[in-house]
Amino acid sequence: MDGSQIRSPQELVALRERLANLQAGKGVRVQICSTGCRAMGAQTLSEGFRGKLTAAGLDGEVEVVETGCHGQCARAPLVRIEPHDYLYGHMEPGDIDEVIETTLRKGLPVDRLCEARGGEVLPRIGDIPFYKAQTREVFRDCGRVDPKRIEDAIVLGSYEAAAKALTDMTPEQVIDEVTGSGLRGRGGAGFPAGVKWGFCRQAPGNEKYLICNADEGDPGAFMDRALLEGVPHQVLDGMIVAAYAIGASQGFVYVRAEYPIAVEHITLAIDQAREVGLLGTDILGSGFDLDIEVRIGAGAFVCGEETALIASLEGRRGMPRPRPPFPARSGYLGKPTTINNVESLATVPSVVLRGKEWFSAIGTEGSKGTKAFALAGKVKDTGLVEVPMGSTLREIVFDVGGGIPRGRRFKAAQMGGPSGGCVPARYLDLPIDYDSVKEAGAIMGSGGLIVMDESTCMVDIARFFTEFLMDESCGKCAPCRIGIRQMFDILLRITEGEGELEDIERLEELGRAVKEASLCGLGQTAANPVLSTIRHFRDEYVAHVVEKRCAANSCKEMVGTSCIAACPAHVNVPEYLSLVKEGRPAEALETIRRRNPFPSVCGRACDHPCETFCRRADLDEAVAIRNLKRFASDEVQEVGTPPVRQGPREGRVAVVGAGPAGLTAAYFLAVMGREVTVLEREDTIGGALITGIPAFRLPRDVLARDIEYIRRAGVAIETGRNVDSIQELLDEGFDSVFVAIGAQESAELEVPGEDLAGVEDTLAFLRRTNSEELTEMQGSVVVVGGGNAAIDAARTAQRLGAGPVTVLYRRSREEMPALAEEVEDAILEGVQIRFLSAPVAIEGNGRVSRVRCVRMELGEADEQGRRRPIPVPNSQSLIDADRVIVAIGQQPNLGLAQGYEGLEVDGRLFRADPVTQRAGGSPVFVGGDVVTGPSTIIQAIGAGQRAAAAIDRFLGGEGQLPPERVLADPVIPDGSVMDIPRQPLPLLSPEQLTGAFDEIPQGYSSPVACLEAQRCLRCDLE
Amino acid sequence: MLTRSGRAVDGILERLEPVSAGDLIPLLQQIQDEYGYLPADILEQVSERTGIPTSRMYGVITFYAQFSLTPRGRHTVRCCRGTACYVRGSKAVRDAVAGALGVGEGGTREDHKFSFETVACLGTCFLAPVMMVNEQYYGLLTPEKAVSALSTYT
Repeated sequence: MDGSQIRSPQELVALRERLANLQAGKGVRVQICSTGCRAMGAQTLSEGFRGKLTAAGLDGEVEVVETGCHGQCARAPLVRIEPHDYLYGHMEPGDIDEVIETTLRKGLPVDRLCEARGGEVLPRIGDIPFYKAQTREVFRDCGRVDPKRIEDAIVLGSYEAAAKALTDMTPEQVIDEVTGSGLRGRGGAGFPAGVKWGFCRQAPGNEKYLICNADEGDPGAFMDRALLEGVPHQVLDGMIVAAYAIGASQGFVYVRAEYPIAVEHITLAIDQAREVGLLGTDILGSGFDLDIEVRIGAGAFVCGEETALIASLEGRRGMPRPRPPFPARSGYLGKPTTINNVESLATVPSVVLRGKEWFSAIGTEGSKGTKAFALAGKVKDTGLVEVPMGSTLREIVFDVGGGIPRGRRFKAAQMGGPSGGCVPARYLDLPIDYDSVKEAGAIMGSGGLIVMDESTCMVDIARFFTEFLMDESCGKCAPCRIGIRQMFDILLRITEGEGELEDIERLEELGRAVKEASLCGLGQTAANPVLSTIRHFRDEYVAHVVEKRCAANSCKEMVGTSCIAACPAHVNVPEYLSLVKEGRPAEALETIRRRNPFPSVCGRACDHPCETFCRRADLDEAVAIRNLKRFASDEVQEVGTPPVRQGPREGRVAVVGAGPAGLTAAYFLAVMGREVTVLEREDTIGGALITGIPAFRLPRDVLARDIEYIRRAGVAIETGRNVDSIQELLDEGFDSVFVAIGAQESAELEVPGEDLAGVEDTLAFLRRTNSEELTEMQGSVVVVGGGNAAIDAARTAQRLGAGPVTVLYRRSREEMPALAEEVEDAILEGVQIRFLSAPVAIEGNGRVSRVRCVRMELGEADEQGRRRPIPVPNSQSLIDADRVIVAIGQQPNLGLAQGYEGLEVDGRLFRADPVTQRAGGSPVFVGGDVVTGPSTIIQAIGAGQRAAAAIDRFLGGEGQLPPERVLADPVIPDGSVMDIPRQPLPLLSPEQLTGAFDEIPQGYSSPVACLEAQRCLRCDLE
Repeated sequence: MLTRSGRAVDGILERLEPVSAGDLIPLLQQIQDEYGYLPADILEQVSERTGIPTSRMYGVITFYAQFSLTPRGRHTVRCCRGTACYVRGSKAVRDAVAGALGVGEGGTREDHKFSFETVACLGTCFLAPVMMVNEQYYGLLTPEKAVSALSTYT
């Protein structure tokens, strides 16, 4: 640019054409994001490219452009190559040579730098799912222009909107266009922009001001930052139009100090615009004057509020004032002032150029156009996202964002920053706009969208935001200054384990007061994070105060170490991993048994919640805790001797049911010195462990080891004994009873033909195979269900010789409750799984011969956030079946509740106190699947342990579990353990199997176990 | 230690004059950029020249988090404590940095090498957890990476 002025719209068009021709010479552009990606080494990349291109003599044909944000920040640093439209991610300087050779010279993509999905390489930006699911209008040019060069902006059309407005339209026409478009303020409040401009226009006086609010203070929001850094001229274009509409000749851009790159780029853009006459006097010969000054914030979140911002501009403390008068009447220096958000202003040019009909055709009834979201948190593709208003959370988080990493589940999305709230899974299908999100108790806000998974504690999030607001409160009004502080103190106590039940009501009351009585938007919305989390996650608050339990295993003071807290039996995981690492498996086993008498069983079949919350999983993969438990048990082999209590046993306890809950309770009670008798209906011992779980998942000798250990603690087990009533046990002289009969009755399908021969429920089927009554099968089998019971049945049928074996599950794979590893193994073994399929009838002549099923599709989320399956009309099909196994759910037999008042029933389950497992005030305790419904082995073990402690106390004892002893050396691991990847279990090949029911995964060898154990970060030593 | 020269503030005032009440914040920002903090004697000089009472200056300085009345370190370390960084484990990074620097939040080391502060959000949430040292960003941090980045500063 030669610095000469652009004096008319025609000159602007001519300049654009001239510049475009100049650029055409350099056919290839290497566009390197140099704003956000600077934190990932983008500057080294651009220097590297420039150097190598010059050396290769290509600098005449290839242009290296330092641009703004490309959007898919998860793959930073990002480089976009035009005209090919390739988007390379995770680029390193070492990749430059190959990119020059393969792409710049030959036009071919470098596969390893491209996005890959399902084995397919996707070099083109338009094919990448992250982008396909978006509608990038406002951000269209971000990533394509060099923000430090006005020429780039002009070539792509910047200032055309200003030119049109200034020379072809009156201010009233501009206001009409913007009002008619339905554009609402993008800063969060959503006030119609055109209407606001109208008020300012009509206000008396000639001295008016336009302020661009770039004080983007919401933690988690970075849309405005990207716009200012990436397309500053687009923002200025919008500002000229806005200033013209309201009649202002002076504008300000108020930017946070924490955005130095944004400050630099917008300041430079203004200087360059001034140089060529696009800012200053008589812009483009229209007679309109405008100059813009950059002001930098000084670190106060409250200055994002318009009256506080104005105070700051006036050199005062950033304290808001009451409105009315609104700034449109009396703002900066008492003059009519319009304050608009960066994104609103950046959207204006497209409204002016493409018209209100075009704009209002996008979006919903009340919210028009597209909206930018800053997608962050526990989501795969974090970054800058733009979608039409009315897109759902599901679309944004899953279609654009790629879903939740590390096999975790969506728990909530925090929307609207500290003024907003947490939206749970139930609302995944809610179309997002200014009005709908309020229904859910949050606000759409400026666009910050932080995704949370099950390891995020909602009480902690409320505390986090409340602390932030407490710090940022200006202090002027009492409700905000004092109220937020009081709320914070309560939340802090709760997260530290010192809360009480009344605290929840106190928070609600305080929240209402702060909301209704505060002076400005900060205070008025300050209670939202607390109130919305109490509304949607009240049970988490209750668990914190009543049970002192944090379900997300996050509140450190309460929880301690994540894995220990996540384990329902609170086994000291880091301790035993350390002992394995030191080559002391017997002591590792002893550590486990202090809390869990089933180490051998759990080493095979536990669903390992410890691994779900393992902090190592945030770095690469969780430590293979279950496999190491298996190692300890297999390595030691001998059963060993429990700490048998000497002396007479006092107190007689009857345990009904020899499953994991019952046997665990019996074990600990025996260790505590009680006389325990376990009464089991079947002839076998183990409950679901032996009748339910097939031998290839849990070998019988492995189970026998644990049962023998429990016996040696002094537990008497009577098999073949059915208990008809509680009273009969009390009459026999038992002082206390623990009911742990599990969930042994199958739910019925309730379709025609269920009574045909060959149709069986999974419990009966598995019982027959596990007792070896059924040792072979022929013909095709259809299993209905999606839990572990269904998968176990399918894999068992396969091994017994049936084929083909098909599982019908009415939802999709992601929703399947069975352990993911089991599902994968089933598929590898040849089991066919038909997702989104449900039976409507079983057909046959006296005996089943086929199943009629219908295809399902997933509808909207239900209360728990699971999508409802809906039958698809006219989609019926038939599957041949010689046998049908029904595995859609199990429930307990509630007979024992009859005739005994102390045992309460809640729906189809027994009720028990969550901490003591006690049923009412009676001597009867209940635990395991009979209380929870079908759950996991370790949950049952945890219940048995809690019941044992509570029963011991009931009988006058201390309820003391075996004391912790520190056995391992407390060595904090060094950085080198980060390099060790998770060790897989060796698998037997088909040739190596001797029997159909052999275990396929084999245990670790000693050196491998030691290696895996080293991966533990010893979070307990923090 | 930074030397204090009255001439630098003269230059700043000349560029801004006539200084109105509304110029106070940019003025303070420029003074702090120059001296590293807001020395009391410089502020008195400015008050004399501009007519803005020191009491008003004090009110503004203590309101905004950016301003410091005490000398700061050569390098400013800012750890983000925003939501996205928080859910991705920024606390561990912060604690490691505070430990490595030997200074609490908002503090400056005795040798004036580092000042340490936390910021509610740096706007680089996609790279959480994030830290800035002066104008340099460091993203996708672990406690180890953060401490190691600090060791490159002299």
